[in-house]
Amino acid sequence: MAKQSSDGAAVAPSDTGAAPGARSLWASRWPALPAVLGLVLLFLVPMGIVGLYSLWRINNNLQLVTDWSLKNYALFFNNAVYLRTFGKTLLVATLATGVTVGVALPFAYFIVRYLTGAWQRVVLLGVIIPFWSSYLLRAYSWQSILGEKGVVNQALQAIGLISDPITFFNYTNSAVVLVLVYVYLPFAVLAIYASLEKFDFGLLTAAQDLGASPLRAVRHVLLPSIRPGIITACIFVFIPILGEYLTPTLVGGVEGTLIANLIINFQRGGQLPLAAAASFLIAIFVTVLLVVFRRYLRVQAVVGRV
Amino acid sequence: MINRQLSRRDFLKGSAGVGATAFLAACTPSAAGPSGSAAAAPSATVEAGPLNFLTWNDHWNKDALTQAQQLLGITVNVTELSDDPDGIAKMQSVGGQLDIVSLDGSWVPKANDLSLIEPFDINSLAVASQLYSISRTFDIWTTPQGYLAYPWGWSPIVIAYNPKFVSPAPEGWEALIDPKYAKRVVLEDEPFDITLWSGLATGAKDVFDMTDAELAQCKDWLTKLKPNILKFVAQNDGVISALAKEECWLGNQNLGVEERVKKAGGIEVKAIVAKEGTTGFYDGEMTVKAGDNKARVRPYLEFAAQAEWVAQNFIDNGRPLFNEKAYSLLVNAGKKDLADRYFYNQPELALKMRVKGPSTRDADYLNLFNSVFGA
Amino acid sequence: MSKALDPLEVMPVSPHASLTRGALRLWCLLLIVFLWLPIVFLVLFSFEASKTVGFPIPGLTLDWYGELPSNGPLVSAVANSISVALLTAFIGSIVGTMAAFVLVRGGLRFPNGARIVVTLPIMFPGVLIGMGLLIFLAGILKIRLGLGTVVAGHLVLTVPFVVLIVAARLQDFDRRLEWAAADLGASPARTLRHILLPLISPAILAGALLSITLSIDEFVVTFFTVGPQLTLPIYIYTQVKIGVTPEVNAVATLMLIGTVILLGAVALAASQGRRAARALRARIGAT
Repeated sequence: MAKQSSDGAAVAPSDTGAAPGARSLWASRWPALPAVLGLVLLFLVPMGIVGLYSLWRINNNLQLVTDWSLKNYALFFNNAVYLRTFGKTLLVATLATGVTVGVALPFAYFIVRYLTGAWQRVVLLGVIIPFWSSYLLRAYSWQSILGEKGVVNQALQAIGLISDPITFFNYTNSAVVLVLVYVYLPFAVLAIYASLEKFDFGLLTAAQDLGASPLRAVRHVLLPSIRPGIITACIFVFIPILGEYLTPTLVGGVEGTLIANLIINFQRGGQLPLAAAASFLIAIFVTVLLVVFRRYLRVQAVVGRV
Repeated sequence: MINRQLSRRDFLKGSAGVGATAFLAACTPSAAGPSGSAAAAPSATVEAGPLNFLTWNDHWNKDALTQAQQLLGITVNVTELSDDPDGIAKMQSVGGQLDIVSLDGSWVPKANDLSLIEPFDINSLAVASQLYSISRTFDIWTTPQGYLAYPWGWSPIVIAYNPKFVSPAPEGWEALIDPKYAKRVVLEDEPFDITLWSGLATGAKDVFDMTDAELAQCKDWLTKLKPNILKFVAQNDGVISALAKEECWLGNQNLGVEERVKKAGGIEVKAIVAKEGTTGFYDGEMTVKAGDNKARVRPYLEFAAQAEWVAQNFIDNGRPLFNEKAYSLLVNAGKKDLADRYFYNQPELALKMRVKGPSTRDADYLNLFNSVFGA
Repeated sequence: MSKALDPLEVMPVSPHASLTRGALRLWCLLLIVFLWLPIVFLVLFSFEASKTVGFPIPGLTLDWYGELPSNGPLVSAVANSISVALLTAFIGSIVGTMAAFVLVRGGLRFPNGARIVVTLPIMFPGVLIGMGLLIFLAGILKIRLGLGTVVAGHLVLTVPFVVLIVAARLQDFDRRLEWAAADLGASPARTLRHILLPLISPAILAGALLSITLSIDEFVVTFFTVGPQLTLPIYIYTQVKIGVTPEVNAVATLMLIGTVILLGAVALAASQGRRAARALRARIGAT
């Protein structure tokens, strides 16, 4: 393996060698042109326009009025419910991330530690393949498993264990968290796997030889060295959840409402500036997170494996 | 879509003995098709793109679309409308990519104010002679330039309930906030309408123009409603399916909910019109001014708005429609009871409802709704 | 990846080791069940002899598979989704690979900044991206919405993945291979074609496959950018409201099987590619 920085994301200093004069700059950078054009035209400009919308308003005649103001943002901050919904979204995301990573960690550890190369690949495929089938249908499938008249309730009722159906997962927050964990688990497993793979398990033995208990060894030797992988996993679970509205709609009902559901209400009601302002706030928050955790954006570790 | 096919088959089975020849003629592909279409066909098969139709799920018949393609060469692309303001926003954003759009009540003149649609002379359409005359003369749809929409159907919003679980029988909107029914109410995801109902329930003077004090009362009422709502669904067939599966015991619906739920799951539901009053709609199809293929709107209407299709649509969806000739077909097919039960023969009732339309404070209404239904 | 046999495996250091191992194995098994449970039901429901998906299952039938070809909207939705996904993956892997070279070797002044910008489309809420594309493409540029705009939207979501995956590969790339080729007189173009591309092709392939997966299942951005056409997720979404029919599950089952076959073929090709790469390396004499 070639030289690699401790976290794969930090870019190695450029080793083009040549002094970057104008000509060689062009020579070394033109291939990015289509991507840059696409990024600008299909992403940055649309985002800029949404940003402008967020400063405008829609009048009672449903026409866009280009008065400049921060009112749409003020509405968000002055209304406790929006802040609370955003807070709840953060809470749900945190909870789902914690569960996902906590569940994935021993799983990935087992794969790396106890399985041979071939079996590792088989189990990883077992993790990836479900991710290849329709998300909507998988969510729907969970409903028919855990819903009020789902297979779990019917089975429990049939054997007389319960008389009334359990409604724990029937359009509740728990159902939202469960399905989110389900959806994002593969990413977390892969990210943690990628960093465990590089871990030298001899270090664990060494620690134990020096008298550390197995748990201490794991805590003080293993976890610190796979920390980048864990953080990567957290980012790839936490951030996308902030904009989730389908999962709450499908399995959360009214109880499961997250911030993006309110945005959709504005958007469908023709109030684009309000929708724009609220989603821009999420975008800003996401950007800040990405900048803070820039060293851990190791996309390749999460999804680079076929 | 399968539901629809099956229900049609069921219907045909059930009515075979009674002699539903009119329907059979309309539903069999080998039939020549309704009279108006033959004349319209040649002019319509000229080179043109598909007709893009933004509408609700109950404004069209699958077979009618198939035949429009076969007989007229008109491919109809149907996309679903989630809410009236959404329809306006789509027309504003996609330009020529919509030719015909359905909206409710006073949203139609709103679209005209925004110059999004094209008024037309309704009496120049042959098929319009089949309509109840009252539906060709709605005040709010009449302008000097012409009529604004081709009338399709109407219904007051009713409260549907499952009598097995809901007793005593509800009388008004307050049933929806009864703590007994926690998480047993499913409503269509239409924040405006739900806010309007909260206004009716709390006795607001004009629900389309509520004062801050009235909105505050609405907020209290919606807050009590919230724990009872299991979920919001995107279209009214979602409510039907939730009622049929007994996922919910109460929901908002159009007239005809009893038959639709029975078809979907076989259970009994009942419906009432809330004593505090209700909103309702009459809706119609509008020609989009910018539509690339708007020339095909007329031939399409001449074909798909024929009484045979309309009668079939009534059988499928059970709320009254404005085609008077379809009523006589229904009577001949032995469906008079059903038609009368849903006021098919009393279109004048449509004028007595508080018809859906934009409020004076759209953003405030939405904000109110979101403030309650956020976390 | 050939892992030497773990010495710990042979000689457990602690009496608890086998217990830990058993517990972990059980955990692994449980999670696999968790991941596959909905898939199993999804497939099971496709054989269900009633028109609504879910329990109870009155009987099993293959009818839904038989009826598939005659369901016009569903067939066209599947066809649209597949063409969009293939086109997205094709354009995306070319554009993305080119950009990856610049990201790694272009001597950018703020490489981490560039990397963050590239990551933004992956992380921003789909609603925001969709809304922006709709307003800009349809409202301002007056471009007709259709499968073309859907591809554009999907490219926004997938190209970043290609860029970052290929860039990671390039980062790890042993440049001595290229220098060796140049020393031996190969032109830059030949080096690119015969050395570089074969060695990074697994990464490009991984990016392309991921693009296909994401594109075929993308709902939110598609919803905003599509014209009057249907794609599979949009079709399924409209069905979810009124009750999914087993027909949809039948399609999903077939697509899952197709995916597994595709994955198998790719895995095979990739392992051959690895072998070829190793041979190449051996021939050039690099380690």
